[in-house]
Amino acid sequence: MARLELDSVTKRFGDGGDAVVAVDDVTVEVPDGEFLVLVGPSGCGKSTTLRMIAGLETVTDGEIRLDGSRINDQPPAQRDIAMVFQSYALYPHMTVRENMRFGLEESTDLPADEQNDRVESTAEMLDITELLDRKPGELSGGQRQRVALGRAIVRDPAAFLMDEPLSNLDAKLRSEMRTELQQLQADLDTTTVYVTHDQTEAMTMGDRIAILDGGELQQVATPLEAYHRPANRFVAGFIGEPSMNFVPAAVEGGALTARRATAGDAFRYPLPAAAADAVDDGTDVTLGIRPEDIVVDAVDVDPDHAFEATVEVVEPTGSENVVHVELAAGPSVVATVDGLQQVRAGETVSVGIPGDAVHLFDARSGSALHSRSLDSVDLESRRVRP
Amino acid sequence: MTGPVDRRRAALYVVLLAMVAFYLAPLEAGLVTAFKTETGFLRTTPFVPPLGAEQFTVDAWRTAFGRLRQGLLNSVLMAVPATVLSALFGSLAAYGLTNLEWRGQVGVLVLFVAGVFLPYQSVLVPLTQFWSAVDLAGRVPLAVVGGNEGLIQLSITHIAYGVPICTVLFRSYYATLDEEMLEAARLDGASALTVYRRIVLPLSVPIFAVTLIYQFTNIWNDLLFALVLVNDPSNQVVTVALNELQGSFVNQYNLQMAGAFIAALPTLVVYVLFGEQFAKGVAGET
Repeated sequence: MARLELDSVTKRFGDGGDAVVAVDDVTVEVPDGEFLVLVGPSGCGKSTTLRMIAGLETVTDGEIRLDGSRINDQPPAQRDIAMVFQSYALYPHMTVRENMRFGLEESTDLPADEQNDRVESTAEMLDITELLDRKPGELSGGQRQRVALGRAIVRDPAAFLMDEPLSNLDAKLRSEMRTELQQLQADLDTTTVYVTHDQTEAMTMGDRIAILDGGELQQVATPLEAYHRPANRFVAGFIGEPSMNFVPAAVEGGALTARRATAGDAFRYPLPAAAADAVDDGTDVTLGIRPEDIVVDAVDVDPDHAFEATVEVVEPTGSENVVHVELAAGPSVVATVDGLQQVRAGETVSVGIPGDAVHLFDARSGSALHSRSLDSVDLESRRVRP
Repeated sequence: MTGPVDRRRAALYVVLLAMVAFYLAPLEAGLVTAFKTETGFLRTTPFVPPLGAEQFTVDAWRTAFGRLRQGLLNSVLMAVPATVLSALFGSLAAYGLTNLEWRGQVGVLVLFVAGVFLPYQSVLVPLTQFWSAVDLAGRVPLAVVGGNEGLIQLSITHIAYGVPICTVLFRSYYATLDEEMLEAARLDGASALTVYRRIVLPLSVPIFAVTLIYQFTNIWNDLLFALVLVNDPSNQVVTVALNELQGSFVNQYNLQMAGAFIAALPTLVVYVLFGEQFAKGVAGET
């Protein structure tokens, strides 16, 4: 029930010469009810950003607004924000019921029976009613996670902040909780900022995702937009698993060429018209191609875009095979093919790099010059029925 | 069947038993001496139990208890508040110095740590000067002070002297508290003091046990401050009273030994009461 705005928010640790800029001029607006995922590698400033919103860190510069009013200088208790921590941060000496009621006792004037009612109904929603009289030490990781969520939900705050809440769970439980959290957030319709380093979590959970690197905001977009229209090379490489392949190359007469160290034919890739228009002749660029767009053992690929290659490693995951191939013309790339397609290490195969799937990035700045063409993908589609 | 392993094990137990005997011998000697008559302790070696009716008596215990009773009561009146308050203040200071952030806290912490290393002897003179300058009876209602001015002075001195070591003990424990948990409490709307009262304090039970035992033993056993600060005989604490059991001409060993055991009993009781929590606290369990 709140709109959260970060306006040129900066966080510096330390003073003077040895100050470290953890968050650098981040501006992002989270509309009411949105699920925004802050994602990036460790040390990118995502947790610091979250802690500034919570009031656990001071803001060096810029402004944080909740529903239009500045909250920079408000203590955490007055911000009407609830946070879920990675370690769950439950109070070990209190029962689950007391844990959940603590926030109501400290931040509201609700009468005792109403507090109990709210705890009970939240517990019911999360299916933890039978745990109410146990202490955190007697609960499994998944149960503690639910209690931590319950403690946040019961307060009915203006916004939820979640700091890698699923990363202490095992893989199976994590994907279950992922689905459940999304559904819960959609039901409650509470503005949520969720921090993770896991790009899969970001892709599957966020209404939008904000990608951070080195304290700087790289892109704010819907998951599919970030995936198909990455703003720069960092985003392209960070989103998607396995990562996008990158081949440094130079533009020469509407085609890309990559020098190779050893003798032999250089890698030469004729660009489709749309891509060729986006780049200037003689410039250095980076060719980006996603593993799933590469065709291995290509039969119906344009011969200009097919290359002879040797299979080096095959990693079967069941549903698909991750194939590492070295093109005869130089670069090595990773491709994913259907799990039933037979590919063996050592084989010589024909590898196709379709022209409509290539991305081009400026070699120096990394910013996107050309993104793949798309026919019928709705980049704005929501992850859960609202 | 007597392989080398068994022989080694046997040797181990022999050594252990010897060490136990060595360690307990003085206690044993003291205990049996306390039950001897004068003839008993003059005619036998100290560690031999009283032989026969003419050597055995409990009179020494009766007399010792009679002469120490006022001292025991005074010691309880002085040591219990001093122990509890020094632990409580140490806990509060440690919370402020460990779990809250403010400017200049490192400097303050250094002062606390320095306080741990001040020897009793070095503060005796300033301490007596301080207490002769401070008119306790003139500042606190007379009903509170009553005739116990010496005890109150001693108690306050022990509180002040104990706070640094208590702070250091609590600090090492509070440094292991989950930082996120305290942040969660702040986000839940709790003030710094509420976080202390409702989260930190209830989680401090094991370290309180450690500190209470340590402080109580120290304060109870102190003789130096008690000798210097307490002049009024009615305010005499048990360690001073025990010291006076030593006769000027004849050493009544049975009386002294019985008195020593009686004076030591409360520290033992405290250890038994908090023993389980003490073990947890020493092991650093939260």
